[in-house]
Amino acid sequence: MKTVLKMGASLALCLGALAHPAFAEDNIVKIGVVAAESGSFVSAGHTLPAGVGLAVKQINDAGGFKVGGKTYKLEMVKRDDRTDISTAIAATQELVRDVKVQAIFGSETHDFTLAMAKITQPAKIIHFAGNSTLAKILNADSVKPGGEDHYLFQSEPQEFQRSGSTARGVLSLLEPLLGFKPKKSVMIVGNDATGQFLSSYYYKALKAEGQDVPDIIFYPPDTTDFSPFLTRAKSLNPDIIHFWYNGDSTLTALPQALELGAAKSYFLFGVDPGIWKEKQLSADVPVAMSCVPVCWGESSNPKAKAYFDAYFAAGAPHGVTSSVSLLYHDYVHFLVEAWQKADSFDPDKTVDALLTLHHKGVVSDDLTFNPTHQVTHATEVCAAAPGGAISCAMQQPPAEAPKS
Amino acid sequence: MKEDRRADLFESLRSLLPVLVILALIALVPLFSPSNRFLSLAISAGINVIALYGLSVLFGQTGILSMGHAALVGVGAYAAAILARDFGIGFWLALPAAALASAVFAMIVGIPSLRVGGHHFVIMTFAFGQLLAIVLTNGGDYTGAATGLDIAGPVTLFGADMTDLTRYYLMVVAFVTVAAVASWAIIHSSYGRTLRAIRENEKLAASLGINVGRHKIGAFVVSGIFAGISGVLLAYFLGHISPSQFSSFPSIYLALMVMIGGARLIEGPLAGGILVAFLPEVLNLDPVQSRIVYGVCLIAVIMLLPDGLIGGIVRALRAAFSGKPKQETEDCDAAEVRQ
Repeated sequence: MKTVLKMGASLALCLGALAHPAFAEDNIVKIGVVAAESGSFVSAGHTLPAGVGLAVKQINDAGGFKVGGKTYKLEMVKRDDRTDISTAIAATQELVRDVKVQAIFGSETHDFTLAMAKITQPAKIIHFAGNSTLAKILNADSVKPGGEDHYLFQSEPQEFQRSGSTARGVLSLLEPLLGFKPKKSVMIVGNDATGQFLSSYYYKALKAEGQDVPDIIFYPPDTTDFSPFLTRAKSLNPDIIHFWYNGDSTLTALPQALELGAAKSYFLFGVDPGIWKEKQLSADVPVAMSCVPVCWGESSNPKAKAYFDAYFAAGAPHGVTSSVSLLYHDYVHFLVEAWQKADSFDPDKTVDALLTLHHKGVVSDDLTFNPTHQVTHATEVCAAAPGGAISCAMQQPPAEAPKS
Repeated sequence: MKEDRRADLFESLRSLLPVLVILALIALVPLFSPSNRFLSLAISAGINVIALYGLSVLFGQTGILSMGHAALVGVGAYAAAILARDFGIGFWLALPAAALASAVFAMIVGIPSLRVGGHHFVIMTFAFGQLLAIVLTNGGDYTGAATGLDIAGPVTLFGADMTDLTRYYLMVVAFVTVAAVASWAIIHSSYGRTLRAIRENEKLAASLGINVGRHKIGAFVVSGIFAGISGVLLAYFLGHISPSQFSSFPSIYLALMVMIGGARLIEGPLAGGILVAFLPEVLNLDPVQSRIVYGVCLIAVIMLLPDGLIGGIVRALRAAFSGKPKQETEDCDAAEVRQ
């Protein structure tokens, strides 16, 4: 019995020792990042702290920012969610209640973000997430003052916009390389929350561009052998196979598709031309690629080079989805501008400022949030010709969602 | 005879006491002002422990290993979310309803699965777990598809808002205590003895007139009740659920937790749940490193500590204090011998 009591007391002491006091320092504004720096989503996950960290450094190196006559500097507090929802929730609780951050960036995983918002929103924490899937919850009712998601902002365009610009860009870049107007498209999509959501919009975008889309083929996440799906796609004789949405899976699928000769051309969503070049990939047919939102390997965006030079110089690795960092980097600057405009850290005044500002970012010279807290900007699409030459173009989004 | 029974009862209660003491100490943790990160992880661990007590009845007492236990938790979680959305049913009414739903699902899975034994059963439960994830993913608006469902609505107890992290933590500790006591009661009942008889020798048990199939399904149903309750607590804690939370990996983790902790001992699920939840946190392990550590732990437990970590620790303590090691399942088996 004595032993049991001793063990229990030790356990309680150990558990108590894990407690950390909240840390606060004058003139330092803390912003939190929750991202998958390990686990299955690491590829996109590591871009969040890298993008936010770069913005924090730029702001601090420029001397900080003034609010209420006082100069402040930023501190990024990042937490790895290990691609695990319990850890993501624990990290958010810690950042909101213990660290007392003013804003949170992340996560890149849709369902994690929704669960995180259940903590950030009642606590009135400004929350940016680059998930176009947030459109499911962001509406006039939920974002109004006192609404469930009043402090939540979607830092990626609405999916009809992103899908619309992407479809338009892919078709316009592939047409000259194919030598004819592509008419038939097949989509191969990862069967998870993001894949299901994205593909429903991209399908409509392709149809709106006059494409015949006889099938959307879903593959289970973590698939490595794509031959059954590609065989099915090949039987439909498509002009283009569109791989959505996971860049890592796409890079596994493409060599198998090329070997099988599954289509006359391909589109790889979320694969940067930089990776195409670094991996020395080649194809005997045209291959289009798109970046979310701007490419680092080759870009038509004049500001992209300077941004990615600084991004990689800060130690971030070259990744399939390095450009995802831009869904967060620009919004740190945007947020600071909002605080300056509001001349306050008050979350309600900050929301008001965010909704009225026109911010000059890397992605666009005119970043704005619409009344349902969603941003609008162009998406970059590139295409590699069979000879290896890559051309890129920024594609503006359609004004309205296509009718289904 | 009367004295024997009293001795048995005393012996049984003695095996429950350490768990109750540990849980009482765990309930005191908020007094040390732990971080909210710690409380949040502890709540997740506690919710798992409740499901693990059900799994310990199935695996520890009956000898059946399920690799689809997270699916039963998922049934409970989705039942709670759908009841809240479509019928406005809150947390407390959702508890029995979700427990019933998970129990019914366990029975539906159990009837065909338990026609096969051993490894085949493991594969069947794994397949059912995967199947449920596929059904939820493709369930359209009803299940929220791959995006999942939100669960709104406060959890209140006697007017107090239990969504506060410390209160939710204490509530989960209370549920873990109830699960531990229920598990202990099953272990020390004649039903528990029947399950152990099946575990030790199915044919012999059948020759004694025990309806082996019915009792195995019964054990699966009981484990479903624990899982259903765990699912409701999880859904209300996270506020959002999705199919990926209840697919194959979470099921493997649950099985791992109960095997590392020790399935036959009342302390086992508690130890396994806490260890697996906090090891990556304490040692700062990433998911890959965690899986390596768990794999090594599992091999070590199977080879060196057949009663799990707690069984090994208790045996070592007994050996140290009394000079002779004692088989750990003895606390309930000794009573059986006397009966």
